[in-house]
Amino acid sequence: MHISDGVLSPMVIAVGFGITLVLLVITLWWNRNDGNVAEQIPKLSVMTGAFFVASLIHIPVPPTSVHLILNGLMGVVLGLLAYPAIFIGLILQALLFQHGGITTIGINSVIMGIPALISYGIFKVGYRKGIPPAIIGAISGGFAIFLAVIFLATALITTGEEFIGIAKLVTISHIPIIIIEAVITGSVVAFLVKVKPELLPIDVEVTKDEDN
Amino acid sequence: MKIIRYLSVLTLILVLFMTLMPVASAHRVYIKEQIKEVQIWTYYGGGTPMVDADVEIYSIKDGQEELYLEGMTDQDGMFYFEPKLGVSQYRTIVSATGHSTDKKIDLAGGIQQEEAELPLFMRMFVGFGYLAGLAGIGMLFAARKIKREHSNN
Repeated sequence: MHISDGVLSPMVIAVGFGITLVLLVITLWWNRNDGNVAEQIPKLSVMTGAFFVASLIHIPVPPTSVHLILNGLMGVVLGLLAYPAIFIGLILQALLFQHGGITTIGINSVIMGIPALISYGIFKVGYRKGIPPAIIGAISGGFAIFLAVIFLATALITTGEEFIGIAKLVTISHIPIIIIEAVITGSVVAFLVKVKPELLPIDVEVTKDEDN
Repeated sequence: MKIIRYLSVLTLILVLFMTLMPVASAHRVYIKEQIKEVQIWTYYGGGTPMVDADVEIYSIKDGQEELYLEGMTDQDGMFYFEPKLGVSQYRTIVSATGHSTDKKIDLAGGIQQEEAELPLFMRMFVGFGYLAGLAGIGMLFAARKIKREHSNN
């Protein structure tokens, strides 16, 4: 899922950094209005740490090897802050694990970060509609990976790859990851709703109503 | 006519002298060693071989890189190529679905040792260290903000 250095054209790399910069500003600025930043920092650090090491968990799916991404979980738990968290996680992965490349941090943030934001949206809407948190969490977690695959395939078209071919290949190899992350996200959400619902970016009042 | 006779006698004497010379070869010979085949193995982090990955081999001569050959890795992530005579430096680029890596191979220098790097768990700790540092900086700013709000009240 991480694109390496030397694969993409300078144009695509520049566009990736451009989109990432804009989204970083928007997500951070938006979050400023929410106040209580101090309360979010521990959660943000723990989740970024989880994202950072998740990519070390490899699953060999011939002819390739896939690893956990956890972008759906990031979106569901962190909300808009998932984008800056994924950006930082990717920098650390590129520098310390050589996953992805330095020049591709921008485009890789787009590939994994935008699906995280979308899955946050899906989770929020689904939760409001009364879908059980575990189920909507699982859907958001799995869907984020699928979206990331589509973004990856789109970025790779520019290198001359054929969209359908590459999208099919990457989607099929990521089916185990989609299932695993759906289960992880679903169970984490179910656990948090029970134990500490204020950690989720949802209206706590709704949860309290349900509890009563 | 006399001249011709002198010349033939001289030639005969020269030929006779030549038979007295020791056996020698006028051609200098060379030996050039050649490595017949270079074998490269490509794998993803975690050890899974990169199957059907695109391989590009560039030959490097006098600092000039030139595409030498292209191919694909086999089912075990292996790729074999025959080096060019007289060229010992190559750059190999392997890529598959957005993953790409390159390595310079110097046949004259033998097989290179892997570059020493920190063990994986140490790099994980380094990452957590950075995150803790960032969290600390974030907390510092948050604490200042809270303090300012308090003093304003």
